[in-house]
Amino acid sequence: MRQGYQHLKVLRTQVNLYYFWEKRWFFIALAVGAVLLSLPQPEGLSRAGMIMLSMSAVVTILFITQPVPLPAVALLIIIGQVLLVGVDSTQVAKNLMTDSVLFIMGSLMLAVAVVSQKLDKRIAWFIVQFTGTRTFNVCFGISAVCGLLASFIGEHTVAAMMLPVGITLISLTSQNPARIKNLAALILFSIVFGCTTAGIGTPSGGARNAIMIGYWQEFFYNPAVRNTDRYLVDYATWMLYGYPLFLAQLLFVTPILYFTFRPERKDLARAIAKLRMQIQMDGPMTPDNWLTIVLFGLIMLGWITLSQDIGMGTVALIGTTAFLVTGLVRWEDINSGVNWGVVLLYAAAISLGVEMKVTGAAEWVANSVLDIFAPLGLSHGLGLLAGVALLTAGVANTMAPGAAVAVLGPIVLKMAAASGEDPLVVGFITAFASATAYLAVASSPASTIVFSSGYLKIGDFLKVGWRMAITSLTLLLLLSHFLWPHFSDWR
Amino acid sequence: MLSIFKRRNADEKPEKPAAAKASPHEREAERTLGELRERRRKRFRILACIDGTDEALENVRFAARLGASDECDIILLYVRPIDHGLASGGLQVRVARQNMLDWGIELPGVRDLRKAVEVLKEEGISPDEWPISSAHTDVWGDPLGDNKIEYQQEESGRSVVLKLKTAPDPASGILDQYELGPYNLIIVGEPSRWRGEFKSVFDAGVVQKVTMLAPCSVLVVRKGSLSKSGFFICTDGTARSLNTVKRAAVLAHTVDSPITLYSAARELKGRAAARENVENAKAILERMGIEVDRTRVGIGEPAEQIIRHGSGHQVIVVSDEGRSRFERIFKGSVAYAVVRGARTSVLNVR
Repeated sequence: MRQGYQHLKVLRTQVNLYYFWEKRWFFIALAVGAVLLSLPQPEGLSRAGMIMLSMSAVVTILFITQPVPLPAVALLIIIGQVLLVGVDSTQVAKNLMTDSVLFIMGSLMLAVAVVSQKLDKRIAWFIVQFTGTRTFNVCFGISAVCGLLASFIGEHTVAAMMLPVGITLISLTSQNPARIKNLAALILFSIVFGCTTAGIGTPSGGARNAIMIGYWQEFFYNPAVRNTDRYLVDYATWMLYGYPLFLAQLLFVTPILYFTFRPERKDLARAIAKLRMQIQMDGPMTPDNWLTIVLFGLIMLGWITLSQDIGMGTVALIGTTAFLVTGLVRWEDINSGVNWGVVLLYAAAISLGVEMKVTGAAEWVANSVLDIFAPLGLSHGLGLLAGVALLTAGVANTMAPGAAVAVLGPIVLKMAAASGEDPLVVGFITAFASATAYLAVASSPASTIVFSSGYLKIGDFLKVGWRMAITSLTLLLLLSHFLWPHFSDWR
Repeated sequence: MLSIFKRRNADEKPEKPAAAKASPHEREAERTLGELRERRRKRFRILACIDGTDEALENVRFAARLGASDECDIILLYVRPIDHGLASGGLQVRVARQNMLDWGIELPGVRDLRKAVEVLKEEGISPDEWPISSAHTDVWGDPLGDNKIEYQQEESGRSVVLKLKTAPDPASGILDQYELGPYNLIIVGEPSRWRGEFKSVFDAGVVQKVTMLAPCSVLVVRKGSLSKSGFFICTDGTARSLNTVKRAAVLAHTVDSPITLYSAARELKGRAAARENVENAKAILERMGIEVDRTRVGIGEPAEQIIRHGSGHQVIVVSDEGRSRFERIFKGSVAYAVVRGARTSVLNVR
């Protein structure tokens, strides 16, 4: 016994146990997967479905805890589908590259291209032209303009562009940011919530939207069945559902922020005068600036009019190519500005979702969740929508909204089908609710980017996040109940 | 491949294959590095960690006061977590940072390190009058990487270093920085909440992780403790705690702070032994030429007694028992209980 203990001691001096400790969540995730696989097969679930379910559980743990680089999780999904489920590798590769993934890739490249054009000062100039100098009005102007732009070019793009505008306003107001903490939070959160509330406005507002559009098509569209055309959701239809919600939320953003962070200065006259001077020193718009605006206008037009025929992803790629060909952006800048691992991750997550459907795992989970929801009155109607919204918002707070929609999408769509609800409505609820993850810094791209400025504290997100989340979810459910039924009739 | 599991000491280099002999340049670099480490070991090096909050500037103030002598180097560290692309939606945060730089806005760490230097100046250390050198290292594939500005006083060789470091998380960054040291003392601020021993196994905060894993002594600074005075040094009579007493007393003596020696007995019958512990410690310090202001003895649960009697002092000094986290779950630890529960700054000596 004693000798064994001494051997253990010697082993501990030789082996770096900290490696295992550091990667503990990876090993825990694998163990969870192994345990799930070894459980008796539940009734109604195929063996392949059970494997996919176990893989989804492992992937969710890895998404949340991130013990290994996220692209490695994507690779594990691909490997798992081939080795564990036995899906043909060519089929897995086909599942990886969909129009949604092309769109995510294209819009990220466009984001880098647009940010590098330095249009931010022009936008700032535009805002202060019509808002005047009162703090409330300036913040409303920032939220409104950030929102309008983010709804088309993505929240991460606008957050990256407008962050320096916000910080400049703060630093021009006081040399010591500690003295104007509330004002700093008010201005920066105006950018954050302007962007996040608008990300749902159009399909190009965020990756989650493209993922949901892809799922509708994959799950419900059948070219042989005529009335399944409604599941090919185009740009204008999305805007019909998303834009009223964005505009309704926008009305509440500034009052909630103003109430939460009572600013130390009610008027920003001096800061705005200095900002105007800085902007004027840049001189008039350059031809490159105009060309950028024209190109982006054409891309938006393409998304609205052509996406049904050639796909949103293709339009985004045409736009990126135009920026590269005209020399407005260098490939090197795009290459270093886009995290390609995330594109791979979204591709893998979507392919996982597709396999969840094919193997019947999504349907089985959907029925199981409905069984849990039923005693709570959440298995149909507004109750189901509220349950889905809360579930999505909760999951999105622990991982990125795109990842939450990729993981939950197949399940909630099958829940809709099983409960007799319209999958379009449930899908919209899921995509929109994923944007209400306001409690954590890493739960939205705009929050992460603005937080990186160092002016906000994690506690600030909690302080305002719950107010915004309750408001947004309430508005979402109200619109889904009172407004959306009219759209269904109309379509 | 299995080499990742092999345990190495901080200064131990991985073994080179026989075929790969070190080039003269490599040998020269290794020799220089060895000399640098040797030189650093002869100095008292304080690593003060800041995170951009006003409370963290107390850490800098503490570092300035404890490291007032010429034999001390002060390293101010700001750790910037590496960007997780998923959180920023696939757009690298560096795009936003570059945009900030184009507007002439300082990045967060730079701004905070500048503030920390101002605090040093208020405490009478003016490093910006000393010769300066800077270095940049690419790490974690991040172009911002690690940046270092070193101010070194020529006559005394004293350094003040500003370090902007990139790491997966702040705790790993601080612990990694130790490996580049070594350091005698790491100063961190009090966290907003402490997790219990069991919970910390799975999810320890930055300060708790550093306190648990740092190979050197850690000072956890609490707000308001700088307005108090005196070192409250605890001993239980063991060789380890007497060593702590000696080291802490030297530090207190250097900064001219009154010393209180304390020992707690669990029961009344242990009072004599506790009294003997403090008298022994006092005798040792007197032989070292260090005056002890007062000695005290308490009866009851040691951690509770130490917190009760020591919280009126500037620093409570406890000796780390060297228990692993699993041992702490089952046996507990007086040192960690004091670090967590005290209402003043606590120096956990290793």
